[in-house]
Amino acid sequence: MIELYQVTKVYPGGQVGLREVDLKIEKGQLVFLTGPSGAGKTTFLKLIYREEMATSGYILVNGRNVSSLPANKVPYLRRTIGVVFQSFRLIPRKTVFENIAYLPRLLGMGGQEQRKHAYETLRRVGLAHRMNAFPRQLSGGEQQRVAIARALINQPDILLADEPTGNLDPELSEEILRLFLEINLQGTTVIFATHDRELIRRVGRRVLTLEDGQLARDDMLPAGTVLPPSADAAVEAMDDAEAAAPDAPYGEPG
Amino acid sequence: MSLFQALIYFFREAAVNLVRGWKVSLLAILTITVSLFLGGVFLLASENLRSRLDQWRDESRLVVYLDTGVEAAARQRVRALIETAPALVEVQIIEPDEASERFLRAFPSLADLLEGWGEEPLPASFEVRLDWSQVEKERFDPWLQGLSADVAVTMVDDDRDWLEQLEAAVIVLEGLAFVLGLVLLATAVFTISSVIRLTAYLYHDEIAVMRLVGATEFFIRGPFYIEGFLQGLGGGLLATGLLAGGHRLLTHEAGDVLVASMLIDRFLSPGQLVALVALGAGAGLLGAIVSLRRENLGATAENPEEWAEQE
Repeated sequence: MIELYQVTKVYPGGQVGLREVDLKIEKGQLVFLTGPSGAGKTTFLKLIYREEMATSGYILVNGRNVSSLPANKVPYLRRTIGVVFQSFRLIPRKTVFENIAYLPRLLGMGGQEQRKHAYETLRRVGLAHRMNAFPRQLSGGEQQRVAIARALINQPDILLADEPTGNLDPELSEEILRLFLEINLQGTTVIFATHDRELIRRVGRRVLTLEDGQLARDDMLPAGTVLPPSADAAVEAMDDAEAAAPDAPYGEPG
Repeated sequence: MSLFQALIYFFREAAVNLVRGWKVSLLAILTITVSLFLGGVFLLASENLRSRLDQWRDESRLVVYLDTGVEAAARQRVRALIETAPALVEVQIIEPDEASERFLRAFPSLADLLEGWGEEPLPASFEVRLDWSQVEKERFDPWLQGLSADVAVTMVDDDRDWLEQLEAAVIVLEGLAFVLGLVLLATAVFTISSVIRLTAYLYHDEIAVMRLVGATEFFIRGPFYIEGFLQGLGGGLLATGLLAGGHRLLTHEAGDVLVASMLIDRFLSPGQLVALVALGAGAGLLGAIVSLRRENLGATAENPEEWAEQE
């Protein structure tokens, strides 16, 4: 499903985002991606949906090398990948329906069909009744669920989440996590980048730990497992760093 | 999505953008209106002057003045020479009496002048009408030289001399109009490009989301192209409307004034009006293309047909 071979990303100016990463993520897996700020989590995700290009190495998504994908084919790749961000990235002047209906519209669905499709997707995230609301009328958790609905509307093979619970309180984070688990149960491969070690501990599954752009650990944990010391230390170090400095804004390599 | 569906979407989004940013859109439309209106005024003036020039050229004659008291044989010789003219249409002898009558009709206040000149104040002449469109310079010039050299001929008056000077003036005017039109159009393109760039900036969050969910560049840029096109089209329609209104007003109010009559004799043809509107729409589209290139929204727009096939 997703394979990385010796993937390195060096940004202009020499900052290393990822360093010789090798890994394979099978179809239908839920994978947590963790590590301190600047470890390369966001870079990792951006490389998969081709927001960034690898400096060297190969990234195969469903057998296609996305590193060598021509620019005009990137949109077609992105239609198979849903992406969710910490900052939701909703358009404030558009309704919930309009926010999530971009893809159905560009795929040529009629108005009725778009609404039906949006309704069904919003029902999956428990927001069918807020279809005509504007983002400012929604809570943070609801806004994130709209963002998830937007990512899910084309039933993607892969769902990438970059700190999706970062702006939410623990209860809402729990709610959003449950949603991701449900989505994963329906067969979607999920890569969930997070700082929240409690969340990782509670759910378990596969945990990839990045440090300085390198894959430091690749653990398969059952739910309720206490994280191995190195991963735990990595998360703690990350927490310390977070306490010292606020989150890097979206768009910077992280 | 088919190309038709995409166009419907583009037009709808462009209309929303135009309404939301109506003030800047109006500025862009007015800039292009002024440009095309001034361009249209110059076109109208040059068209009318050229039409008048063509009319004068068609009516222009070659007048061959004979010496006073020239004998019949000499007249016959000159006439025979004239009849060898290239593309001759008509030749007519104007006797001194008729020449005097014409002079008096044209300048009645100068009647005294003729009286002082005795019996034959004006010489006989031949008026020669040629089909100027068929006249070849290589044949005409030697013929004219031969005619002028005849002893019975005192002067050959060619109307085309001053018509050529007038034509040169019209060409200069057209050149100036062309340059001015280009400058004004470039201003309009720049204004529209700035407006579109501003709109693209205002919608950058939406563009980012569209790109994220897999919208092609064609789909992202389409509404902006159509927005520029509509602004240009609006400017073109407004300019032609103003031209028509102005022409009608001028015809009604100042039709008797010589200069005005030279400019309003005929209005622009439907083809020219369509071209003016198309120029506006094209300038708007160009403005949008320039603006989005500057904004570097992403990769080059894809081939819409290929895109439509893959949807």
